[in-house]
Amino acid sequence: MASFKFKNIYLSSSSTISSQNEKINTKFTIEDYFDGEKTTEDAEAKMQKTVIKDMLKNGPVDFIVSGELSNQIGISNHVMSDFRISHMGIYSACATYTEGLIVSASILGSSTLKNALTVVSSHNLNAERTFRFPIEYGAPRRVTQNFTATGAVASLITKNPTNVKLEGCTIGKVIDYGIKDANNMGAIMAPSAADTLLEHLKDYRRDASYYDVILTGDLGRLGSELFKELLSRHDITLKNYIDAGSELIVDKTLTNQGASGPICLPLYLIEKILQNPKNKHILIIGTGSLQNATLVNQKNTLPSVSHAVSLEVL
Amino acid sequence: MKIFYSFMAVGIICLIASIIYDTTKLTPGHITSLFVVIGAFLGIFGVYDILIEHIGSGMSLPITSFGNSLVNAAYEGFHENGFYGLFGNMYATTSAGISGAIIIGFVVTLFCKPKD
Repeated sequence: MASFKFKNIYLSSSSTISSQNEKINTKFTIEDYFDGEKTTEDAEAKMQKTVIKDMLKNGPVDFIVSGELSNQIGISNHVMSDFRISHMGIYSACATYTEGLIVSASILGSSTLKNALTVVSSHNLNAERTFRFPIEYGAPRRVTQNFTATGAVASLITKNPTNVKLEGCTIGKVIDYGIKDANNMGAIMAPSAADTLLEHLKDYRRDASYYDVILTGDLGRLGSELFKELLSRHDITLKNYIDAGSELIVDKTLTNQGASGPICLPLYLIEKILQNPKNKHILIIGTGSLQNATLVNQKNTLPSVSHAVSLEVL
Repeated sequence: MKIFYSFMAVGIICLIASIIYDTTKLTPGHITSLFVVIGAFLGIFGVYDILIEHIGSGMSLPITSFGNSLVNAAYEGFHENGFYGLFGNMYATTSAGISGAIIIGFVVTLFCKPKD
């Protein structure tokens, strides 16, 4: 597995937006799923535009790396046609944010470019339509099913020193434990999260207690339990572990498992973890369930991938 | 008393559906179809008509009654017109519901646009 360190790459400011369901204070909020637009896709595009425009107020950026959950990352591409800025679209489901950080930081590290934006977004109804059923179908949620969070985040990655340093990363392997139930994403993603964490600790010769916080994206409550169980087989017990998705949506009438989507990790990282000055060494693990509606219907097993990025607060 | 039985019957049918949904991988579509088949199966042996007689609307309201209606109508058609009637008459008693859904759906889409 590939682990490497970044040289003088920093996480500067971020702009966040979320809906009312997420129990977190963000810079912007949207009132409902349509937010005055005709379709939910337009609403998600509007959220992305809001955060990107907010970040561009601080000055121009060299390029943007963005992704979300719609088919062929259509919304990101659609949004970027409004900005005349170099753009790369990426997709790793819910690991998109960490993948974006790795891609942005690597390009900055190997070029003369100065700064980049990493943008991710997700929308509950769009994800529902992409991966599950038509929205009008109104299928009840299963016990193991997550609830896709609604929001967008734009993070500025730069070479100018700030107080948050991107230290290193581990690029994950695609892991498939043969689970066919697309409504049990916790079980799909937990093995890859555990695998990435183990590799990361091995490659950097660190103990899990080195980190003040180990933050996974959206394993959910069941997924978190499975994650801890897999680690306990390697004699690792996590005391500093938080799952962003489980913390983000606590309303049991919405879901038993918590939030999911690429947005969970950055929202919780930026608005909670980085706000606490006690957190010096932070490991974020984006966990992505790589499901494709066609392949799911053809009864294929579901693979997953997790990318880890370690942050250092100076 | 019949109202109480009706209330309980629908509740129990929905409870069974919920248990199936929570414990298996079946989707709501699968379960609806399954209940239609169960209703039809009970209809074949006349069990369903006895249930409707005793419980009333509690049994004629759930989707299981749709299966029963299909079987009963097909049976009547078979008596009147033989093998052809089996198919020709199958939707006779349920046609109001099916046509209603199609026609109302058509009328609504004339005035409202789906947002998908």
